[in-house]
Amino acid sequence: MEERYINAKGLQCPGPIMKLFQEIKTMATGEKVKIEASDFGFSKDVEAWCKKTGNKLLSLEQSDNVITAIVEKA
Amino acid sequence: MRYLIIGAVAAGTKAASKIRREDGTSEITVLTSDSDISYAGCGLPYYIGDVIKERGELVVRKPEDFKMEQDINVLTGWEALRIDPVAKKVLAKELKTGEEREFIYDRLILATGASPFVPPIEGVNLDNVFTLRRVTDADRIKRQANSGIKNAVIVGGGFIGLEVGENLAKRGVGVTVIEMMDTILPGFDKEIALTVQNYLKEKGIDILTGEAVQAFKGDGRVNEVITSKRTLPCDIAILSIGVRPNTRLAVEAGIELGPTKAIAVNEQMETNIKDIYAVGDCAENVNLITGQRVWYPMGSTANKTGRIAGINLADGEWSFNGVLGTTIVKLFDMTAAKTGLSEADARKNGFDVVTVLVPSEDRAHYIPGYRMITTKLIVDRKNRRVLGGQIVGEGVVDKPIDILATAITFGAKADDLVNLDLAYAPPVSTAMASTIVAGEVAVNKLDGKLKGISPVELHENLDKYYVVDVRIEPEFIISSIPGSVNVPFGMLRKKADELPRDKEIVLVCKIGKRAYMAYRILSQMGFENIRILDGGISSYPFETV
Repeated sequence: MEERYINAKGLQCPGPIMKLFQEIKTMATGEKVKIEASDFGFSKDVEAWCKKTGNKLLSLEQSDNVITAIVEKA
Repeated sequence: MRYLIIGAVAAGTKAASKIRREDGTSEITVLTSDSDISYAGCGLPYYIGDVIKERGELVVRKPEDFKMEQDINVLTGWEALRIDPVAKKVLAKELKTGEEREFIYDRLILATGASPFVPPIEGVNLDNVFTLRRVTDADRIKRQANSGIKNAVIVGGGFIGLEVGENLAKRGVGVTVIEMMDTILPGFDKEIALTVQNYLKEKGIDILTGEAVQAFKGDGRVNEVITSKRTLPCDIAILSIGVRPNTRLAVEAGIELGPTKAIAVNEQMETNIKDIYAVGDCAENVNLITGQRVWYPMGSTANKTGRIAGINLADGEWSFNGVLGTTIVKLFDMTAAKTGLSEADARKNGFDVVTVLVPSEDRAHYIPGYRMITTKLIVDRKNRRVLGGQIVGEGVVDKPIDILATAITFGAKADDLVNLDLAYAPPVSTAMASTIVAGEVAVNKLDGKLKGISPVELHENLDKYYVVDVRIEPEFIISSIPGSVNVPFGMLRKKADELPRDKEIVLVCKIGKRAYMAYRILSQMGFENIRILDGGISSYPFETV
């Protein structure tokens, strides 16, 4: 299955987490999405959101001021 | 003319240099008991942290340099013992040889500085219990840091203590800060101090507040710290409880102290005794807003007062009318700064204040690398004058705090901030700069367009309010105020009927924008008992769920 991609760069709260939330709703269990955001607060948000919703945070990285998260739908 | 200066760190050497620039021929002598001169005391934590590797990078000038470049005689290792203001002479002793000598002066400057306060606690004299003031103190602490110590205990959560803590933590040392008050960063309002506190905890520094150190234990060398609540392992302790002005010489010579117990000076930096001036950390200041005598021992003020005394002594004329108490500290990537009165200071001084807490980007949001900063303004409700400001965040803080310091110096009202013409280009700022936005919120509040509630007030009275979080559900899930109800902004009109009319409603969003819009909607629907949470949940430093 191909990994989905969301470009949430330039978006501020609640943009990135909203986009991720909407995308995940359309995904099947086990499907993955990669999201890039420049909102620095997204890093903590995505971590906390995955923990609370049970979706799996496969990776979370920050380089060149862009935060990249890969999330697998639970 | 013979000028004599006692003290050779920032203010003393600055005064000497300024006198020389004004007066090319007089004799200028500087005495110091220290072995180092003209160093940047504020840089010492970074020397310990190895940001500054060699001590020579910190202590740049030596007595020979002053002699050669400016014909100023700097005598190190000479302790001034007594001033005779009638005969105009100072008795001093060379510490190495014990030799005593009299130095005759026509004009004298006291730049005796301040010394760390050492509390009378059991074991305070054990090895590895340090204070940090001189370069030699930093040398000792750095040697310990180099030797691979594991646990450091910082006593006192002020700037120096936290900066040393940060620098030791970056070198892999476990750091615990013990602060007797409720929050670290004395002088800052609670919500700002707590923001920094939470951040430092995330960075791995343990912070224990409301706790007092009772004893240092160890066999010759400290290995444990006993507090009012626990026992901590400790290889090195740094006492950073505060400093006291060095005034013994002055008092014994009949020089008056002010209400703060630092040396009283007039606007020319002259003491009550003619031809004796006091500058830097040993001298008092005046608070520009309250007009009260205050004591803010700051490197920035020391340099300025040294220079001003230099001008006046050399028969020039310059007046120093006071300070705002502007300060800034950077810890890891977070910066906290303040200028003017804090909310607590302002209330203590009887001001009826309006405060705002406004998160904002430091640069355009589409430029990767921008960060949020939160601006607090303290405004006089009566005349709308800005009394103070505090800014905290991982973004650029020094620029907006200096804008505020400048504006406050010139008596700006909140309305004046709104109209400021500030520099803008996306990589460096925002079209509506944080200072302007904060000014706008203040004006809205002053004009009665909205009622806010500070995070501290909400937290302390949480059960009194019906807290409505207007963010979208995924945001609410991430973290929310305990007991709050989620009504996303888009659903507000539809769900307004379900909101209570008999209880005060507090509207919450992430930074305050959506809560303000919700406030306007609910007001128009006839709700009267509503407030918005100042700064939103992003500035709420208390427990969330």
